[in-house]
Amino acid sequence: MILLIILILPILTGLFLLPFRSAAVVRPIALAAAVINLLITLTLVLSPLATSYALDWISFLGINFSLGYDGISLIMILLTNLLFPFIILAGFNRTQRNVHILNFLILSTQSALLGVFLAQNAFLFYVFWELSLIPVYFILLIWGGDGRKTITFKFFIYTLTGSLFLLFGIIYLYQLTPGPHTTDFAAFNKLSIPAATQIWLFWILFIAFAIKMPVFPFHTWQPPTYNMASTQGVMILAGVMTKMGIYGALRFLFPVIPQGVLYWQNTVIVLSLIGVIYASLIAFRKSNLKMLIAFSSMAHISLMVAAMFVLNTYAIQGLLIQTISHGVTIAALFYMVSLIKEKTGTIELPQLGGLKLQAPKMALLLLIVVLGSIALPLTAGFVGEFLMITGLFQQSIWFAAIGGLTMVLGAIYMLYAYQRAMLGEKKSVFNKITDIHTLDYLILIPLIVVIIGLGIYPQPILNLFDQSIHITQNLIKPVAEVVSTLAH
Amino acid sequence: MSALIFTIVLGIIVLYLGFIKNKAILAPVAIAGLLISLYLSFQDWGLGSKYFHDMILFDNFSIAFNISMLIITILIFIFGIDYYEDMKLHVAEQYALMIFALAGAFLMTSYSNLIMLFLGIEILSIPLYVLAGGKKYSYRSNEASFKYFMLGSFATAIFLFGIALVYGASATFYLPEIKTFIAQFHGHLPPMLLVGLLFILIGVAFKVAAAPFHFWSPDVYEGAPTLVTAFMSTVVKTAGFAAFYRLLNMGLLPLPIPLEKALWVMTALTLFVGNLGALKQTNFKRLLAYSSISHSGFIMLAMLSQHGSSASVLLYYTFVYSLATVPVFIIFILMKRASERHEELFIFRGLFKTKPWIAVFMTILLMSMAGIPPTSGFMAKYQVFVLSISQGILWISIFAILMAIIGIYYYFNVVREVFTEREQPSVIIVSKLNAALIIVCSIAVVLLGIFVLNIPI
Repeated sequence: MILLIILILPILTGLFLLPFRSAAVVRPIALAAAVINLLITLTLVLSPLATSYALDWISFLGINFSLGYDGISLIMILLTNLLFPFIILAGFNRTQRNVHILNFLILSTQSALLGVFLAQNAFLFYVFWELSLIPVYFILLIWGGDGRKTITFKFFIYTLTGSLFLLFGIIYLYQLTPGPHTTDFAAFNKLSIPAATQIWLFWILFIAFAIKMPVFPFHTWQPPTYNMASTQGVMILAGVMTKMGIYGALRFLFPVIPQGVLYWQNTVIVLSLIGVIYASLIAFRKSNLKMLIAFSSMAHISLMVAAMFVLNTYAIQGLLIQTISHGVTIAALFYMVSLIKEKTGTIELPQLGGLKLQAPKMALLLLIVVLGSIALPLTAGFVGEFLMITGLFQQSIWFAAIGGLTMVLGAIYMLYAYQRAMLGEKKSVFNKITDIHTLDYLILIPLIVVIIGLGIYPQPILNLFDQSIHITQNLIKPVAEVVSTLAH
Repeated sequence: MSALIFTIVLGIIVLYLGFIKNKAILAPVAIAGLLISLYLSFQDWGLGSKYFHDMILFDNFSIAFNISMLIITILIFIFGIDYYEDMKLHVAEQYALMIFALAGAFLMTSYSNLIMLFLGIEILSIPLYVLAGGKKYSYRSNEASFKYFMLGSFATAIFLFGIALVYGASATFYLPEIKTFIAQFHGHLPPMLLVGLLFILIGVAFKVAAAPFHFWSPDVYEGAPTLVTAFMSTVVKTAGFAAFYRLLNMGLLPLPIPLEKALWVMTALTLFVGNLGALKQTNFKRLLAYSSISHSGFIMLAMLSQHGSSASVLLYYTFVYSLATVPVFIIFILMKRASERHEELFIFRGLFKTKPWIAVFMTILLMSMAGIPPTSGFMAKYQVFVLSISQGILWISIFAILMAIIGIYYYFNVVREVFTEREQPSVIIVSKLNAALIIVCSIAVVLLGIFVLNIPI
């Protein structure tokens, strides 16, 4: 029941908000709902319950409305519910058209994302997967920036293409289950599919996740979409929606088609590492701060994908820490960028400079976030990326070496960008700008606390991961089994 | 049977009501009559009664389809109250012709003899030829009527020739007897029989606008009055597919190999032509014509999957497709009136600004047509893919999925227009009835996607 509450609280609040038009009413209520959801999630994290919720839905097609969670879902749910209060907060004190519709869409996105992470039935997963796209599509289409029509369209078609292949894969798996057929994950996990089938099925399933994350060469929708999206839109996209891809891959690929994963393991790792280098190099050349961060996000995600596919415990642990860390960091980064845009009217690096003199507090906070994103020790990014690179190292020293470039190159381009934007001589046009406000503190300080807190003491997340193994089915076991078959 | 008879009588009554100058009573009488037909149809459920030396068989399959078509026709007639308001003359004929066509459609769902199928197709088609030319002073409408009539009668001739050939080979018109006759050859059919069956299939494929027999449909859909277009793309299509399915199920399954191959090629072609054709359309009615062709492709995929539950999937698909199509046509008419009778896609521009609730419902309806959850259009496509993939038809399923992506592209082109702002917002007037129709249909489209019924037929 508690899972059902977590799932529907945001969307119900969103529906409740629809008749109100005043921002002063809508925003606090939306925020309150998101905070309550976060608190419920935190109680779940602190004392995991063996709870689930199931309802017959379309029984003749083997579809149940069943919710449940395990360690990996819980981390994703935690991230979603952690970020959404800040995403809603990011809209405060700003003029927005149709604020009630916007907040309704944001809250429905939250519900749909939670649905993706809670679903225990592949069909339900798919429905939520698609549902999460629709409000985001409208957030981008209505509140986006220049060129939103074309870019949103590309984003929409791109992601739906992947999804439809996923749908094919789900139906294929469904008809393989022993009759009466079902789309429950539990039944999928028990399937033993011939290796030859697993090999082609891998791409059918993986392509949806690869587009969502995105993995090179399926990334072309991402940078323009991030660049065009409103602050809240990009925080949702980069902070949470990329993690859908990772979660989906963990949920579908590793337990269901381990042999397919093994077969394509190196291909995907190599593609991801190409993505790391490619995205980092492009980030160097970008003078638009938002584009630069978009590419840096792609580099970090690519490293996470590579780590996911090396199939060892270090890498997976690192991946889960990095999931939270990347989500929080990237949301904070994009928020900072929008602050800079608001204050100076530009995010082109050549036009910025010397902001530190005018707004020292903002510069300091940005520095901390940037350091978190380049994985400096004592930040969560460091723990995550260090564990992932350790994992990659066990697979191949070359993988680790190239993966390590994420950190090296990331440090260079991020610090260089910081230097160009914040340091140097102050430009006279910036004489009037003000430093950050209380609201900005409310958003940035908690996010920074998470970044540093997890960097100093990552054990809670690792514990969560270990504890949850006892309460629900172990998701990593099939991976471990694959590793052990690898050893034989 | 009583439903069929009552419907025909109703047609005559409505026709004679035309003599009374008060046209306001036409639609209520027609709707009330159809409601009685609906009640009579429900009475026949489960009886499986046969008539005329077994030439007609009202089994649950035919009753389910009849009910579905009756409901859609009632919706179209309610739309007609507003649509025909400005029309001075011959309104009674419009309603009467549609009721006659509906009677033909009933025959097409319930035949078990090829002659009855022929009669059904003709009774359905001839009123449509007239209806397509309903706008007497419009070149487009005249062209549509003429084209439909020419090609339609040509297709009918081929169809009739096919029946003759089959009769020549098997000496029977009865589908079950043809089935046993075919079975004795174990797949190696004599040429006359094979050609005959192929011609019959061509005749039916023409009615459902399956490629390569689809060329009439964009022109006719565009030229015909919008209400008639709505009728053709919903009721006529449903009848065509019910007839098609019955033909296969009662007479031809398991399909002889050459016919099966021909039908698969037709399915793939239909998907391809429909979706690629729709991609470049700027006229909304043509877009819907091509989209309707592409839906034919998906329905054929379900039909050819030869699975026990194909019939109920077919019913579900055609019903929810029709349910989404009718309000889309209504919204189209509203927008057309608001923008100097243009029919291009840009008439939808700015809809979100002027009438946000219509924009939301339009989005839901187009989502259903594109097959995006949580709408019933998605569940329909999902069930089609479940059928085809379960039968191991993987390549065509993958092809259909690629085509579905193209479908999403052109439907969302319209959605994009809806949410684009416009310099001078147009004034949209919505009558209460139309508003109610749009709302009820849209909600039904969503609810049917969440509570999926599985009617065993």
